[in-house]
Order: sequence, then C-alpha cells, then structure tokens
Amino acid sequence: MLEAINLTKTYEDGLLALDHLTLKVEPGEIFCMFGANGAGKTTAINLFLNFIPPSEGTALIEGIDVVKEPLRSKDYLAFVSENVMLYANFTAFQNLDYFTKLAGKRGLTKVDYAKALKSVGLQDEAFEMRTKNFSKGMRQKLGLAIAVIKDAPNILLDEPTSGLDPKSGQEFLNLLIKMRNEGKSVFMSTHDIFRAKLIADRVGFMRKGKMVMMKTRKDLEGEDLTELYIQYMEEQPAAAGA
Amino acid sequence: MLKDIIKKEIIETITSAKFVFTFLLCAVLILLSVYTGLSNYSSDRKEYSAAVALNKKNLESQPSYTALASLGTKINRSPQVLSAIASGVNEAVGRVASVNIAYDPNLIDSKYEANPVFSVFGALDLTYIVKIVLSLFAILFTYDAIVGEKEKGTLKLTLSNKVPRDRLILGKVIGGFISLLIPLVIPLILSLLLILVYPSTSFAGEDWIRLLLMFFMFFLYLSVFFTLGLLVSARTSKSSTSFLILLFIWVTFVTIIPKVAVVGAARLNPIPSVHEITAKKDAFLQQIQGSVQKKVLDWVKENSPKPGEDQKAFQEKFKKWLEDFQQESTSQIDANNAALERDYQLKKNAQVRLAINFSRISPASALMFSTMSLSRTGLDEHERFLAAVRAYKPIFTKWANAKMMRNINFQTGETGSKVVLDDMPQMTFDSETIGKSFARTLPDFGLMLFLIIVFFAGAYVSFLKYDVR
Repeated sequence: MLEAINLTKTYEDGLLALDHLTLKVEPGEIFCMFGANGAGKTTAINLFLNFIPPSEGTALIEGIDVVKEPLRSKDYLAFVSENVMLYANFTAFQNLDYFTKLAGKRGLTKVDYAKALKSVGLQDEAFEMRTKNFSKGMRQKLGLAIAVIKDAPNILLDEPTSGLDPKSGQEFLNLLIKMRNEGKSVFMSTHDIFRAKLIADRVGFMRKGKMVMMKTRKDLEGEDLTELYIQYMEEQPAAAGA
Repeated sequence: MLKDIIKKEIIETITSAKFVFTFLLCAVLILLSVYTGLSNYSSDRKEYSAAVALNKKNLESQPSYTALASLGTKINRSPQVLSAIASGVNEAVGRVASVNIAYDPNLIDSKYEANPVFSVFGALDLTYIVKIVLSLFAILFTYDAIVGEKEKGTLKLTLSNKVPRDRLILGKVIGGFISLLIPLVIPLILSLLLILVYPSTSFAGEDWIRLLLMFFMFFLYLSVFFTLGLLVSARTSKSSTSFLILLFIWVTFVTIIPKVAVVGAARLNPIPSVHEITAKKDAFLQQIQGSVQKKVLDWVKENSPKPGEDQKAFQEKFKKWLEDFQQESTSQIDANNAALERDYQLKKNAQVRLAINFSRISPASALMFSTMSLSRTGLDEHERFLAAVRAYKPIFTKWANAKMMRNINFQTGETGSKVVLDDMPQMTFDSETIGKSFARTLPDFGLMLFLIIVFFAGAYVSFLKYDVR
C-alpha cells in the first residue's frame, strides 16, 4: 500500500510543487494521477522514491516512512519511468540481470528472465539484442519487466505510456491490469486519459501541486473524462475545493 | 551488490565504442612512443661512443700541448636509458661541453639546436602521451559517469532499489578505474617486453625500479583526472556542461599553469641575462690579460741575468715562473668566473624553483618533474653534470698548463712534442642515486595523492547529496 499524508514539497526557490497531498493506494488498486506539466505528479513520485525530502508530511510504503527508512522502503517498491533508457550496450538479458541483482534477487536463471520478458510482450529475438537498438515501446516493456521480476507490492509509474504506439500501449495496460489482479498497488502519473479510463480504479486531478479532484471508477461512469480533464486543468479557483 | 556494480561498470565500458577506440589508440601510441624512445636512445648511444672516440683521436692528433690546451677536450653527456620513456630536458640542453684553458665550459649542441622544429612540437615520449592523451581519455571515461546516468534515467532506476549511494559511487569508481587501466596496462606490459627484447638497451636493476616508479606515477596522474571527472560529473546536471568544465580544467592544468608559472617566476624573481654575465667575465679576462705584459716585463727586469750569468738557468727560472704565473692567472679567471657563475646559478635556481613550485599546482607539472627526476633527464641532473664539467675545468687546465710549460722551448719558440694522454685527468660524474631521485619526487607523489583524495572525497560527498531527478 502507498500512502501520502499531508505530503508537501516547497523548493528552495519558493515554488510550492506539492501541496498537502493526502491519498492512499490500496492493494489491488490502480490510481491514475492527471495534471499538466509542473502540476506536481512527478514530485509526488520523487517523494515516494525519497529522491527529494518532503517539506512537510509523510510518504509511506507498506507503512514504512520513506525518509526514516529509505532503503527498507525500496524493498517494497518498483519504479517505471517515463522514458526507460537503460544501458544501451547491454542486451535485454544483461539489463534485466543487473537490475534484478540490485533489487536483491539472487539465483534467477535465464529461464526466469525469459519468462519475465515474455510476460511483458517482448519478442524472443529481442532478448539478446542490445537495447540501443530497441524502440521506445520495447524499452518501456523492458522497464516493466524489471518491475515485474522485482515483484514488489507497489508500483510507481511516471507517464509510462507516453510515446507508445496503440498496440504497445494496450499491451502495457494489460500488464498493469494483471499486476492489479495480483494485488499490487499501482500509482501512475499520466496525461493519457483514454488509456487511464480503461484501467483506473480511481483518478486524481492535480493543479499547481494540489489535488483538486478525485473520482472513482464508479464516479466516472457516464462522465466525459476529456471534458473533466480540461475543466480541472484550467484555472478555476472555484473548482479547487472539489 | 558492490561486485555487481563493478562488473556492470567494466562490462558497460569495455563493450562501448569509446573503449575500443581508446584501447587501440593507447596501444599504438604507447608502443610507438616506447619504440621511438628506444631507437632514439640506441642512436644517441652510438653517437656518444663515436663522439668520445673522435675526441680522443682529435686530442692525440694535436701537434703540441699548447694546441691541445687551447682546443681543449670535449666532454660528452652520456645518454640515459630512461630517456626512452621520459626525455625531459635532454633534447633541449646541450650534449657536449668544450673544456679548455680559456673559456668557462658550457653544454652546447642540443638536439633542438640541430633541428629547431623539434622545440616547437616537443618529444613524443611516453610521458607526453600520458600527460596529454591519456589524461584526456580519463576525462572521456568519467565526464558522464554520474550525470550521464542521470540523463539516461538509469540512476533513478538504480536508486529506486535498495542501493546505498556510497556503495554505488564506490562501485563506479572501482569499475571505472579498472576499465581505464585496461587500455593502459596491456600496452605498458607490451612496452616492457619491447624494452627487454630491444637490442643494445642496457637496463640495470635500478633502472627497472625507476621505470616502475614512473609507471606508478602515471597511474596516480590518471587517477587525478579520473577522480576529477567523477567530481565534476557529480556536481553538474548536464553531461555537456561536465565535459566543458573538465576540458577547461584540463587545459588549465596541462598548458596554462606551467606556462604562467614560468613567466610569473621570471617577473617576480628577475635574474641578470647571460649576456650580462658574459660581459662581466670578458671584462675581467681583459683586465688580467692587460696586466700580463706588465707583470712579465717587471719580472724579466727584476730577474734578468747580469752579463756573465747563466742564461740557461734564467730560462729555466722564467719557465717555472711563467708556469706558476699562468696557473695563477687562470685560477684568478676561473675563480672570478666561478663566482659570477655561482651567483648567476643561485639566482637562476631560485627562479627555477619558484617556477617549479608555482607550476606544481598542476598535476601535469608534477608528472613531468617526477618522471624527469626518475629518468635522470631533468634540470637537476643537467645542472649536476654541468657543475661536474666546471669542476673538471681547473683540473684539466692545471694539467694542460703544466704540460705546456714543460714542453715549451723559449729559445727556439717550439711548443713541444707530440701529446701523450695517458696521464690526462678524466672527468668523473656519478648519476644521482635512486634514493635521492625518489626523495626529489616525493612532493609530486604527495600532490597527486592529495588531489586524488580531495577529488574523490568531493565526488563521494557530492554524490550522497546528488539530485538524481
């Protein structure tokens, strides 16, 4: 489970990047966070990863405070970034092997790696290819394979579907659904409202560091998410409390 | 985990195109420079032997001791075997000094005099390759070590795992350094083999120790740039910025500081010009020469035989007096020249020391000074050799004067018989011991270690606080 309690980040230049975010992503739930660039989505992820210290509040992963026990909290967390570059001179196997070892998993064989790579839809012939020859979609899949093999109960995804072709995007979503069904908490920041609508159990709208609206899948039934997105992304002081 | 990080660093580097390029270029340059150095040494050795033999032949062919005294003997500087690795000032300073009864000896006929274009480009020895090319490679290997991972996003991915930052930086340092050493160590081992099999090179036991110390200095020097690269990489957020900063520091270290140090020392501590010293020497010489005629006439006036006295006894007495007088005059000239030279050398040494100490802020200068000391091709060795030549001059002069006077016939004006060199004193010069050379390089070793520690500590602390976003 991922939990933010009054999580706030003000940068040295005075910019309030995240304003008292409070949310909980339960096991078996996909939470999609929307927001324009600079709305605070990536800041929230960076706070969960303890890449930046919070100005106020707490980020918890499986109940572990990420500031107090940063290394332990990372045992329960997998991360997929917007543009997974990886080590270009390494093959998919080599990249997977390295990050698996960093995740503390030992004794896995090529068969295990092949299974993880297949599970994310990567073709067999790509396993021994250097990732410098990979398309963005292939790299994203490999990034997800790294998260899959880590088998952490919480997944953080920072705009993972941006730039993916429709087929790769759909495959990616299927994997997230599979992870949710396995009981993992999935937190995804995205601009991709169409895909998010297909899989999100809850969505949140961020504006200027503040969560301005949160809706469940049920709330969204019959709603035009695009219209909502535009409505909440625009400057609307009245909507801030919604 | 540390092992995995080190392994990853090594594999990532050695599978890259830049490694292959670096390795091939290093191998070619290092082997070429050592081969060229050995071949130069070999031809220097031959030239030296020929010059010594020719000098002996020339001296023996002189018709008289008077001719020999005025021609003088030529002292050739023996080539140093380690000049194959670090040529130092060898090619800039003279290789031969003429020692005669008249002039103060100086080393002349440098390689640069023979071919001035060399002085523009300098020697392509191994030290030069390490100083310029390999230090650039060290930067090339590290400028993006941290910031590059940030740009690729792999740093975020790595640190999203249970990876302590201190272990990650340590792994990167060890792995990166091993990767850098591979293109250096393999060609160096091949160079050692080349030295072993190359004909007519005479590496003594001490030379091997000196060579290994020089190699160790190379490693330290490259470590300075390696850790500096890490530090800058851990302080910047763009690899292009990191590379530009490192390039600027490299240019400052390798070219600007050494040149500014020399110019600055000359401004801060000016010394009289060589022409001034020569003018003073000439003035004294003229003063002595001017008084010679008067003193000889006075002596002759005082000691001339009265009619009926033995002319032959007078001539013998005159010859003895003239020998002593000549010796005294020469000694006076030598003493004056030596005093002027001592004073000049003291001032010049002070200026040189100042320039050296200024330039030692740069690891490139430290590398040059230490390798020159270890290879016995530095300024100190040159000064010691010149001092030995100058110390030999009065010994030679005394011998030549004595021989001249004993063989001159005042009645006939004949200057004597064929020269015999059996009892001619020879110049002796003992090269600096390894202990002294090593002691001389200690400040340079110290500076390198200091910089490595400072840069590494800086990189380490910076990385612990590094913004990975």
